[in-house]
Amino acid sequence: MFEMPSGSIYAADKIFRNQIEHRLSEADSRQPQQKLPKVLVVDDERRIADTLAEILEMSGFQVATAYDGWEALEAVARFHPDYLLSDVLMPRMNGVELAIAIQKMFPCARILLFSGQAGISEILLEGQKQGFEFELMAKPVHPLKLIERLKGE
Amino acid sequence: MLSKDLTGKILSWNRAATQVFGYEPNEIIGQSILRLIPPDSHHAEHELLRKLRTAEAIDPYEANWLRKDGRDIPVLVTVYPVTDKTGQVTGASKLVCDLTEQKEADETRFRLAAIVDSADDAIISKNLNSIIKSWNEGARRMFEYTADEIVGKSILLLIPEELHYEEDEILRKLRAGERVDHYETRRRKKSGEIFDVSVTISPVKDESGRVIGASKIARDISDRKRIERMLMQSEKLAATGRMAATIAHEINNPLESVMNLVFLARQHSASSGKAHQYLLTAEEELERVSHIARQTLGYYKDTGTPREIYLHDVIENVLTVYNSRLTSTGIAVDLQFNDLQKLVASKGEMLQVFSNVVANAIDAMHQGGSLKISTRQLIGASEDGIQTVIRDNGTGIKQEHLERIFEPFFTTKGDVGTGIGLWVAKQLVEKRGGQISVASSTEQGNSGTSITIFIPYTIPVSHLGAAHV
Repeated sequence: MFEMPSGSIYAADKIFRNQIEHRLSEADSRQPQQKLPKVLVVDDERRIADTLAEILEMSGFQVATAYDGWEALEAVARFHPDYLLSDVLMPRMNGVELAIAIQKMFPCARILLFSGQAGISEILLEGQKQGFEFELMAKPVHPLKLIERLKGE
Repeated sequence: MLSKDLTGKILSWNRAATQVFGYEPNEIIGQSILRLIPPDSHHAEHELLRKLRTAEAIDPYEANWLRKDGRDIPVLVTVYPVTDKTGQVTGASKLVCDLTEQKEADETRFRLAAIVDSADDAIISKNLNSIIKSWNEGARRMFEYTADEIVGKSILLLIPEELHYEEDEILRKLRAGERVDHYETRRRKKSGEIFDVSVTISPVKDESGRVIGASKIARDISDRKRIERMLMQSEKLAATGRMAATIAHEINNPLESVMNLVFLARQHSASSGKAHQYLLTAEEELERVSHIARQTLGYYKDTGTPREIYLHDVIENVLTVYNSRLTSTGIAVDLQFNDLQKLVASKGEMLQVFSNVVANAIDAMHQGGSLKISTRQLIGASEDGIQTVIRDNGTGIKQEHLERIFEPFFTTKGDVGTGIGLWVAKQLVEKRGGQISVASSTEQGNSGTSITIFIPYTIPVSHLGAAHV
């Protein structure tokens, strides 16, 4: 019916569903939560930040949301992230600056940047000059792919 | 005009002689003619007098004679013996023609000829019937014909057939006495090679002002044209890049939101219901849009910073990804890696280039076949690098499609193809300062396609900046 290879979505989807069911049953039996990373999601596009937070929570992550770099830095006072997932081009403070700040505060935190835009090489280069290099994913990212990325490694 | 006797004594001296040599008749008549002749030529004059006495014929001759002021001037001397009634030679009349102006004119002509011959430009003259009348050394170098081969032939020999009409237009202008200035066109060498030239054609007129032909100066501008084309190409790339960057943000971000929303909606719908199925379909369609948006909207430019990599590592990576497809289709892979040196490139970009090319090769061999990939070091004219050849023996690409395969949105795969794979590959290779080319055959039993990719070791300076080639 469709030309696009849909097998991967189906397969990953199945895993995801199993996991949600598993989590629901866990919640029912009041067992201690499976230890998944605490993720700080930062994007000035609120819809992206909010939907991602919801998706990640459904998948068992603890999530905090911020809509720009400053907010994110305020958030980390209460929420020590294991993972920072941040947009790159944002007002007031860009994703690389934020990532560098977070990396300095939490050397163990993992960082994943995502962007929908070309022309950010200069921002990335700026980070490299200071000795920081971050992983980058292209928006749009399928939620399942993102979850896989956050869980893996 | 002067006359002398057999001893060389001057007997008469006319006004013209006074003008040329500066002596008044009363100063010179009765004097020896040797006064007019430089000492080192005196023996020639003695010989002349001997010939005169023995009535031998004397041909006109050129010599240098002395003026009263001591300067010597070139002259042409014609000697007429003077005889008495008995036919006895008594002396000679000498017609002495001043050649100063003519000598100067000759010298000018020689100097001009030398200039014409040493010019890099082709300088050609022709008559109004388009017949070539002269041909300089520059013309020989540019068009590869020698003067002997081409003088007397039609200038149409130098003009590609499809441009023959130009000659009529040129002749029309010439007849009207107009010049053709820096006209850019194409001309043909003896070997048949066509090249870009800039020609200036001016009418040549005779003394009465009538146009009798034309001189034509042609300059080879193929290098300049090549650079212009490259610049234009890189301008286009830069413009495309700017546009892509501008709309990328406005498309990729909403896509991300929609994808998340649809995903959430699906998670909240009953998995057996119709809505769930619709949302799943919507997600698949979104994935399709996302794929094309990610690739075309320039995002790939930022996937990873350039670092030292082995190209064969990249290719092996690609093959690992396609391993199951290769095996299930029955494609044998033959690898020959001779790239012993790393090169600086973005691994993400190189992965994209090679995976697009390999994917096409696999698609062309749905009945199975052989995929040969070789890499080798290439010492280029301007730079060294690594050449990779990816050869399949699949269906091949039709000749009429061949020149379009690097165009965006051109596909021969119907609904399945997006038409951006090779286009993106080309953009990435060129941005990295390399080249990609294709050769293909659809001949039964001998069909297949080979893609050659050259990547120089060094990265172009502008690679990290704007999208320049």
